[in-house]
Amino acid sequence: MLFPTLAFGVFFLFVYFTAWSLDRENGRRKLFLLLASWFFYAQWDWRFVALLIASAVLNWAIGALIARTRERGDSRTAWMVGLGVAANLLILGFFKYYGFFVEQAADLLMRFGWERDLPLLQIVLPVGISFFTFQGISYVVDVYRGKTPPAKSLVDVMLLMSFFPHLVAGPIVRASDLLPQFDRAPRLTRAMATHGLLLIVWGLFKKTVIASELSVNLVDPVFFDPSAYSAFDIAAATYGYAVQIYCDFSAYSDMAIGLAALLGYSFPRNFDQPYRASSMQSFWRRWHISLSSWLRDYLYVPLGGGRKGLISSCINVFITMVLGGLWHGAAWTFLAWGALHGGVQVIERLFRAALGERKVVPTIIGVFVTFHIVCLGWILFRAESFDLAMQMLQGLGRMGPVVMLTPLLLTLIVGGLAMHWLPPRAIEGVAERLKAAPSVTLGLLIGAAILLVEAVRPEGVAPFIYFQF
Amino acid sequence: MTDERDPPEIPLEPFPVHRPESPFPPLYESLPPNPADPPSDWIETADAHDLPTRENRLAALGRFAFPPAPPLDDEGLAARDRRWTSRTIVVATAFLLVFNAVSPLNWSRQQAPSWLQGTVQQMSEVWVGELAVFGVDMPRQGAREAWMAARDARFVSQEPVSTAP
Repeated sequence: MLFPTLAFGVFFLFVYFTAWSLDRENGRRKLFLLLASWFFYAQWDWRFVALLIASAVLNWAIGALIARTRERGDSRTAWMVGLGVAANLLILGFFKYYGFFVEQAADLLMRFGWERDLPLLQIVLPVGISFFTFQGISYVVDVYRGKTPPAKSLVDVMLLMSFFPHLVAGPIVRASDLLPQFDRAPRLTRAMATHGLLLIVWGLFKKTVIASELSVNLVDPVFFDPSAYSAFDIAAATYGYAVQIYCDFSAYSDMAIGLAALLGYSFPRNFDQPYRASSMQSFWRRWHISLSSWLRDYLYVPLGGGRKGLISSCINVFITMVLGGLWHGAAWTFLAWGALHGGVQVIERLFRAALGERKVVPTIIGVFVTFHIVCLGWILFRAESFDLAMQMLQGLGRMGPVVMLTPLLLTLIVGGLAMHWLPPRAIEGVAERLKAAPSVTLGLLIGAAILLVEAVRPEGVAPFIYFQF
Repeated sequence: MTDERDPPEIPLEPFPVHRPESPFPPLYESLPPNPADPPSDWIETADAHDLPTRENRLAALGRFAFPPAPPLDDEGLAARDRRWTSRTIVVATAFLLVFNAVSPLNWSRQQAPSWLQGTVQQMSEVWVGELAVFGVDMPRQGAREAWMAARDARFVSQEPVSTAP
């Protein structure tokens, strides 16, 4: 059940009205939201609801065990958090990386002449597994670090991990953000509701109009067979993919934040005009913020962060980014993508250490260079294999007619990039003005905006890109 | 300002060089002195809102019949905002049910045959047909046609996309 579909619209209307009718009894409300989230997840594959429940029970039990052990004055809790993290990684590793590592092992053995029939399994990847396991890890580690108290009930942990707005593609909402909100019956204000509605409409537009149009008519055909296209089309497809992935993923985040807001919960911002970044470090402070801050707190800092000097911090950044690349998928192209981002950040750090904080490159040049490095990374990210990625890069030198790029697609690319130069909090600003409008006026405006999107969207909706992660 | 002509020693210029004497006595000197202000009746402790005001009798009757509600507490404010949000959602949904009526029909055509699918399809076909009489499908249709025209546009010297490899 995808967000921009009629089925989800009907589902959400039912959830919205039922949830608010239960607002006097927070426990029942949470239970209802939990059941609704499981129903939502079961639309992909009902068997994985059991995995979701098992994962939540595991993390709740580890969290409770850590808290109880600490209450008894026993400080030996490190092995418990280790157990919790290992169990989460085991779930993730089995479903996401088992096939990849077995294939690599088989290749390696064959090269040494030890060919073996390794047990290859066709494992179906549960949607959103990377997101809910990372949430589970953050819960266990935060309880261990004392950053968040253990959840008061199992339902809270289950809802934290299963809450349908963020379940399948984030943002990765921390326990410290969401558990306190579950403690009390939520409140809905006009500002929150207007902001939420605008985010949903804006996300709908970005996903179903910009991302879908670019994907179907430009990016997919060119990335499928780059050798058939000229430099113009390949460059357009690369820029188009940069816009597509931003509009696709940020649309999901926007809609998730908006849906949660309509149910009275506040999620953190996940994007902040990333192509405006003038350095790779700045890019990762603006792109998928919930993941980059997760990687910082649960990977970079435990590795040592920047505490042991420049070289150590460079190594830690590189390792973090490579593993961040691997998080996106079990493929060498994702590792290379992570290595590219890590490598550029290391170079930036070395430059900063040598030149100090003074600005040596004008911002506009920094933005231009950073954007093109990011686009280079997107080629690795999107290509099915290294061969296709190399074909894309080679094609950038091949002159020929423009076949795929049309005025409409060019407008969408330019528009998708131009939205990064809107005022940073434009939606909030508009919401602030519209919240005073009568409900009928706002309802008609929202309806007209959705009608416009519905009229121009392509038939059908492709799944969000980040569902596969 | 007299009716007499200027004396001959005064040059005849467009503007008089000095003001002629008035035949009338000085105005202010002839008035009696102003009487002193009466003592103030301002009451320091009085509140202007306490003073009796004249109210429209009809308004007073209305206020008596329908007394204003007490100011809302936090829960009341939250409930009001929830009602406002719900109304907004209902209005948007109703708007879409009318102007985007074809959407449930398209959805039902994409589903596997079932009782629900069949029912939705039949109801949607009737609904879309009835609304088409009033032309409410025209905004959607117009926007779609404009979008398709934009999609079909090509750069100069560009071949149609159908011949692309």
